[in-house]
Amino acid sequence: VARTSLSSPPWPEVPKLPDPVEEAKYHAAEVVQKVNGMISAGQYGRLFAVVHFASKQWKITSEDLIMMDNVLEAECGDRIRLEKVLLVGADDFTLIGRPLLGKDLVRVEATVIEKTESWPKINMRFWKRHNYQRKTIIRNPQTVLRINTIEIYPCLS
Amino acid sequence: MVLLSTARWLRSRLTDRFWRKQEVLKYARHFRGRKNRCYKLAVRSVRRAFVRSTKARREKKRFLRALWITRIEAASLEHGLKYPAFISNLVKSQVELNRKVLADLAIYEPKTFKSLAALAQRRRQEGFLAALGDGKEPEGIFSRIVHHY
Repeated sequence: VARTSLSSPPWPEVPKLPDPVEEAKYHAAEVVQKVNGMISAGQYGRLFAVVHFASKQWKITSEDLIMMDNVLEAECGDRIRLEKVLLVGADDFTLIGRPLLGKDLVRVEATVIEKTESWPKINMRFWKRHNYQRKTIIRNPQTVLRINTIEIYPCLS
Repeated sequence: MVLLSTARWLRSRLTDRFWRKQEVLKYARHFRGRKNRCYKLAVRSVRRAFVRSTKARREKKRFLRALWITRIEAASLEHGLKYPAFISNLVKSQVELNRKVLADLAIYEPKTFKSLAALAQRRRQEGFLAALGDGKEPEGIFSRIVHHY
């Protein structure tokens, strides 16, 4: 058939996707087992995780510091487990959660280091020619956490 | 003696005028020109600086979000996807990563970003297939596509 402007539909040609049944078999057999083997053998270097905490998402590794702009109801020196892990990755594999990963799969531990106030921030409102100016000094409570460890367990299925 | 009002030769005089002015001048020390030294000029400049910093704190959020979007767009174009396609397909695949984290992954974890782009591309094609359905035209419709038999 000669290729004219109307000989084929205007939308782009979609390549044929692999059969879902076969793909699920391949995934379960090869990919999952390979990743499980790598995890149980310990063939990963430094792990990083994306954690949802204090209404923010953080990309964290072990031994790094996190500062939240609010109060945490835990004393200094308490060990805390961060649930709500969205993604865990190493050099060769990543585990993407939809949207969260299971609690029996990842374990992220952190310690509360200090609870302070922020530097005094100045809020100033000023209208010109109206003799209106207001100045407030705001100090927000802050908490600093140190991420101790990120561990993964070979419980993929 | 008890007096009803104080004597006129007892005045209360301001003694810490220097320190009151220093409280304002300390915020103006890094300014340019006479407004880092002279109080009358510094008061106006410091007031404008405070007002601008309060407004900027609200705009910083918009600015940073635009920056993340630019970076994610650049990274996804390297993998052959446009930004709206990337984000919409990630959301449809129930991956709830925000733009800040996606930009950080694009910078520091390129392999992870490539896998996310592949996930979005696969979901996009599955969406196209689902929209096309059987590939047959509905009955009773005269289509402009030419068929040569």
